[in-house]
Amino acid sequence: MEIVVGISDMRVTTRANHILVTHSLGSCLGLVVFDPGAGVGGLIHCLLPMAREAREGKSLNPCMYVNTGVPHMIKAMYAKGAKRERMVIKAAGCGRMMNVSNSFDTGAANLAALHKLLDHNHLRLSGSDVGGSIPRTVRLYMDSGRVLISSCGKSWEI
Amino acid sequence: MKRQEIIAKALAVPQMPMPVQKIMSIINDPDATMLQLARFIEYEPGLTVNLLRMANSAFFGGHGDVTTVKDAIMRLGMQRVYQMVLASGVAPFARYEIKGYGLPPGQLLEHSAALAVASEQLAGELGLTPPPHTFTAGLLVNIGKVVLGAFLAVNAEPIMELAYSQGIPFEKAERAVLGIDHGELGALLLEHWKLPEPIVYVVRHRLDPDAAPVRDLALDLVHAGDVIAKMTGIGLGYDGMHYAPSETVFARLGLTAEVMERVMESAIEHFSEIRDILLGKE
Repeated sequence: MEIVVGISDMRVTTRANHILVTHSLGSCLGLVVFDPGAGVGGLIHCLLPMAREAREGKSLNPCMYVNTGVPHMIKAMYAKGAKRERMVIKAAGCGRMMNVSNSFDTGAANLAALHKLLDHNHLRLSGSDVGGSIPRTVRLYMDSGRVLISSCGKSWEI
Repeated sequence: MKRQEIIAKALAVPQMPMPVQKIMSIINDPDATMLQLARFIEYEPGLTVNLLRMANSAFFGGHGDVTTVKDAIMRLGMQRVYQMVLASGVAPFARYEIKGYGLPPGQLLEHSAALAVASEQLAGELGLTPPPHTFTAGLLVNIGKVVLGAFLAVNAEPIMELAYSQGIPFEKAERAVLGIDHGELGALLLEHWKLPEPIVYVVRHRLDPDAAPVRDLALDLVHAGDVIAKMTGIGLGYDGMHYAPSETVFARLGLTAEVMERVMESAIEHFSEIRDILLGKE
């Protein structure tokens, strides 16, 4: 059964018959985390790298931002029995418009925010399909931990 | 199929929706009064519902207190109401499946709603007053894709191959393969339907605003709004983000990364409200 994760949203599951999927990855980050030992998987779709100060005061959706959303999901996975040493982490998305300068490259900023977070926690990516100007859909198959990227009528595994 | 054949077929196939034809006759009549406009809209239940929902939407700052067409006109002004009626008459074209461009039913309308919201919201974030047609033009800039992908059944695969393998923007690849891009074709269709020239101008030039003969604030806002909507990923097709933004336009608007991010948040927050109104969904 496919469980759709919307933009600025996340899902954590322990059911082997679930497929977590997020569509519409432009410059957003789609992050998949899977613990094969505990059978716990999570998928988050973050729009932006971090909540800026100017936006404080507004009710904040933690899943919208990489710096708040990713720890939020990993904590939810710990609560379901996941262990950090078994976690397999894969990233997708973080695309960019053609020839856009660095200051408007939100995809690169999303990826940099993720790397900062992972480095700080001594975690690493086991796979990724990021950058470029293609749109992406990402699926996590809970029965195997397989992560599939689809774009422009083609699919491949990471 | 090449340029002339595409243009001939594009102008022959889709008919302008009847309510839009009628409203165009009022827009083009300099003596038309507010009362005539209100009466015309009231005779079209679909338009009336859409107009009242837009006037009351959170996105347009409504509070649910606009209950009649006259209220809407008083509150929003005739220009704004014309634009909303045009939008709700023409935008539903984007609800079709656009197979060759990798867009399931409803997806392009979703993208168009995000684009229009981003264009309008961008003006607010930058402290600018958007010209009244900004939102409608934003909704309509992709209408050429509907014509190519849905009515003329163009398969975008060779276009995509060329664009991605050669690293050229998608619209240049469309021109290389078809002799025309979806922006120009959309403009020709809207011109054929006699939609107001300022809207046609934005639709014609939004992919390459640096080449537009005259600077135009609505064009700049829609160009940047298009970029922002694409970055959010909402309703993207095969062409994805394979377009080159004009940073000259960004500089002219005073756009910063922070403003861009705020508008992305806003597009996520509001696009579904506008999409649902245009789809007639509760």
